[in-house]
Amino acid sequence: MKIKVKVKRFNPMEGASPEPYIQAYIIKATEGMTVLDSLLEIADNEDPTLGFRRSCRSAICGSCAVRVNGFSKLACSTQIIPEYRKKGDVLLEPLLNHNILKDLIVDFDPFWKKMDRVTPFLTPPPETKEPLKVTKEDALAIDSSQKCIMCGCCNSECNALEIDRKFTAPAALAKAWRFVGDVREGEATKRLERLSKEHGIWDCVRCVHCTQYCPKDVAPLKQIEMLRSRAMKAGIVDNQGAKHVESMAQSIKRVGRLDEAAMTFKTLGFLRSLGMIPFGIKMEMHGKMPFPLIFSQIEKIDEVKRIYEEMEKGKGKGKGKGKGKGKGKGKSEEEV
Amino acid sequence: MARLKYAYYPGCASQEIAKESNETTRLVATELGIELFDMPRANCCGAGLMTDYDYELSIAINARIFAEAEEMGLDIMTICSTCLMVMSTTNRDLKRDPKLLESTNRVLEKAGLHYSGKVKVTQLLWVLAKDYGLEKLRKKVVKPLNWLRVAPFYGCHSLRPSDALGFDDPEKPWSLEATINALGADVVDNRGKTRCCGFQVDLVTEDTAVEMTGKRLLEAREKGAQCMVTPCPFCHINLDNYQGLAEKKVQQKLNVPVFHLSQLVGLALGLSAEEMGLARHLVSMEGVFK
Repeated sequence: MKIKVKVKRFNPMEGASPEPYIQAYIIKATEGMTVLDSLLEIADNEDPTLGFRRSCRSAICGSCAVRVNGFSKLACSTQIIPEYRKKGDVLLEPLLNHNILKDLIVDFDPFWKKMDRVTPFLTPPPETKEPLKVTKEDALAIDSSQKCIMCGCCNSECNALEIDRKFTAPAALAKAWRFVGDVREGEATKRLERLSKEHGIWDCVRCVHCTQYCPKDVAPLKQIEMLRSRAMKAGIVDNQGAKHVESMAQSIKRVGRLDEAAMTFKTLGFLRSLGMIPFGIKMEMHGKMPFPLIFSQIEKIDEVKRIYEEMEKGKGKGKGKGKGKGKGKGKSEEEV
Repeated sequence: MARLKYAYYPGCASQEIAKESNETTRLVATELGIELFDMPRANCCGAGLMTDYDYELSIAINARIFAEAEEMGLDIMTICSTCLMVMSTTNRDLKRDPKLLESTNRVLEKAGLHYSGKVKVTQLLWVLAKDYGLEKLRKKVVKPLNWLRVAPFYGCHSLRPSDALGFDDPEKPWSLEATINALGADVVDNRGKTRCCGFQVDLVTEDTAVEMTGKRLLEAREKGAQCMVTPCPFCHINLDNYQGLAEKKVQQKLNVPVFHLSQLVGLALGLSAEEMGLARHLVSMEGVFK
């Protein structure tokens, strides 16, 4: 079947103030043909000036990420006919949240700088008497984050990065977990302190785009959640993100529900909460101000408290067990 | 068709700050003959923050909600996208990982509870679009909203992650648009409808949150929408309550009234402004209410 493929083009060398424009190509699509196949066909047979990146054609190198009908995907692992059937159209555009160099090619320098920022290599502890053992469980903990091929789909879709270009963003944060979560890492706490600062783990807006559009199932949001948990467990809680989470956990344990007023106060602290007063008055005029004192608790709150306690107990036990299960450890290493 | 019955989980936001959403949902359900059964024991889902705090604990407190529904013999219907996402991902993980279900149940049993893993979680939007059916809804309309151009706003957690939610295609969702049409109003399509409202960082990076909110509202306005509709009370908090702050950020008057999904349905079913608590919104609903 014949399909019209529209490509968003941009050439910085064209004229004084070049603007992106859409160019359409008609291609003969066959069953199983990928978006990359179609781009190669256009470049080979019709328009050698069309700019796009590609290399392996096997979803390994991560070069060919583009937006297909509005969403970031690997051109080499996206079939063109299903896309056409779904939207009645095929529009190819460069990744979002990156500056365009030419046509579908974007500037990846900021992407690499973000990677740099999370120190993407292991810092072993200064002295270890015996070699560290890595169990299968330990390896699995960082397994997802190791699957990243640095294609940039997640950063392109990231809603927080769209607003704040300084945000470390999902690709680098997922990479950060690869090292923080590695049992051989010696400076995990230092890393977590850095990651808890502005533009770090707490700036993620949980839009779930990164996890939805990652072509390799890295699930960056999940890695960010693990970084957050680990940071809080390491006692790095002097920031609004962690305070926000802590107040939520306390609120559920206390009344079983989210206590908005108490949460605002605990997250922002006294002085910044004062700044919220004009907004609060406006809310109150519409009956929208939540009152912490009259907040009703759920029935059988004791069950929730019991679950919290059991969980804490379980965690303690888990640690002890981990140390004592020498034999079990050996076995899982063999499996690795 | 047998009457639809659900264990009703409005979520924390819809019980306090956005309680007009809860109250209107109950009225709409009565009008449509959908039976909602309260869950007096249900705790907060954790809104994703509990996943940050402690994954296993987050799973356990959500399983406690499911255990209550299971005792009631009903599936859960919520009116909050974030509750939907958190409960659906929990359910997905529990179904995918029998060991996790087992260890969670060991904890639940200490509190005298058990979850077998069978409860389904849905939301008002999907109930209308699928279980109840839009043709049937169309027949219930007494006041077709033919004067309204409505921008749908799904936000994030009704659509993603789709492997846990599995209803709408996040790249081509249809349920909200089809519901708007069934009520007799026109749909104003907008790119921002599947993007983030900023709510999760309201108290963390307020600048980002407010700018995001402003962008969504501005797009809807520029595309010619008279109002927006959202299935999520958290999106409503940002789009409505934070609209004043968003206006300062984008340096433009926005004035986009925002309906909760239940209110848009209620309007077409002939509910009054008072019944639906429209005066509780910070942006006046007067221009879009007839």
